[in-house]
Amino acid sequence: MRKAAATFFVNGRSYEELVPSNMTLLELLRDRLDLTGTKRGCSASGNCGACTVLVDGKPTLACVTLAWSAREKQIVTIEGLAKEGSLHPIQQAFLDHGAVQCGYCTPGMVLSAKALLDQNPDPTEQEVREALAGNLCRCTGYVKIVEAVLAAAQTLKSGTMTGGCVPW
Amino acid sequence: MHRTLRPFELLEPESVQEAVQILASAPPGAKIFAGGLDLVSRMTRWQVDPPCLISLQRIPAMDFLEVGENGYLRIGPMTTLRSLELSGLVRERWPLLQEAAHQIASVQVKTMGTLVGNLCVATPASDMAPVLFVLAAQLGLVGPAGSATVPIEDFFVPVCQSILEPQQIVVEVSVPPMPARAGTAFKKLAHTKACIAKVNAAVLVTVEDGLCRDARIALGAVAPTVVRAHKAEQALQGKPITRRLACEAANLAAAEVTPISDLRASADYRKRVAAVLTQRAILAAAECALAPDAAAAWHALAADPPTPAGVAGRTCGAGSQGEPA
Repeated sequence: MRKAAATFFVNGRSYEELVPSNMTLLELLRDRLDLTGTKRGCSASGNCGACTVLVDGKPTLACVTLAWSAREKQIVTIEGLAKEGSLHPIQQAFLDHGAVQCGYCTPGMVLSAKALLDQNPDPTEQEVREALAGNLCRCTGYVKIVEAVLAAAQTLKSGTMTGGCVPW
Repeated sequence: MHRTLRPFELLEPESVQEAVQILASAPPGAKIFAGGLDLVSRMTRWQVDPPCLISLQRIPAMDFLEVGENGYLRIGPMTTLRSLELSGLVRERWPLLQEAAHQIASVQVKTMGTLVGNLCVATPASDMAPVLFVLAAQLGLVGPAGSATVPIEDFFVPVCQSILEPQQIVVEVSVPPMPARAGTAFKKLAHTKACIAKVNAAVLVTVEDGLCRDARIALGAVAPTVVRAHKAEQALQGKPITRRLACEAANLAAAEVTPISDLRASADYRKRVAAVLTQRAILAAAECALAPDAAAAWHALAADPPTPAGVAGRTCGAGSQGEPA
């Protein structure tokens, strides 16, 4: 096929789109669905991690994924994390720890962190660093980002332990 | 609207046979599309311009990772590097595969990239290729003329090429069981841990009665393809693996490689590092082969025991698996 209709489930919403075979997932999200929180960083070579989104829960580089490959799958972008005006605990931790400077890497960082914490609720600092190794930051030096992810893990854990009042 | 990728036809066969048929009648330059990581990134830079992609993503059950009837580990063409890294089966019985997969790039790259794709790219800097060399892996190919099995040592052709015909598809990697009393190690040097290797080295040694019975050493990123260091392997045969012997063998290995200078490292530096990594890998593999119970007996035999440095936290499942019952 060179162009075909497909359904995409993005942030819990379904979209019917006519996509050409040569459209990347990044182009679909940014240009078609106006979800510009997902960033294009390294000229689509898969090196910087700014375009990281979750596809069926797995951290995926949208710039080197064909949109067609992501059809019928659950896609989560940074726009899908905040619920009813409340930031996700990872986002809140990034704010609280000053882990955002220019902000360009942040959406990818947050989603890589979410992929880690969904699988491993109590990671070590080393595990956090390894999980974020595919996300380049040119401002912060990473220390505050790692601290934020570790703090978010604690917040999420305590939320779960006190009866699951955190809706994420 | 601007598109990063040039237009192409995308075909989605639903069986391997159909994929082979489509590939046989596809226009020149058609590519097999599995994880797509390397292919799409090269297409975005317009380094390749395939008129047609034949996707394996719709074919059921192509991401298998299991032990076959013959005891071989079977790895499917859609099995990702991340699956290898996280598999308990691999960690326990083929820890070398897990050790190398763990050191590749990033979680995203490993989540998207497949082992077979990594091999078909045929970069001399692949971290998985040297490991599969020392594990004596085989590749299952299918094409219009039928199926074939080739040892991985016959697969690569200098530079960044393989013997894969344009109409063939790699459908399986199979890895024999680890030999009894074998230990393995993988060492890599890169700019950062997420970067491509400047040099890497994989070693498998079999130790019996304190003596090296078999050694397999393969180095990556130091020649147009992966290098088996045969002279270094022979130097270890029949001897206790001391630090001095490992050093001698490592120097022989470094003499066998023909690296280039590029932006990552100079040829001279690569040669020196090849020796260092090989020595460390030999000692770590020997330690692993002897771990845990046999180590004491071995220390009594060898005047110059190997250093435990750098092996902390490694899985030595194969070593204990190889212990006599």
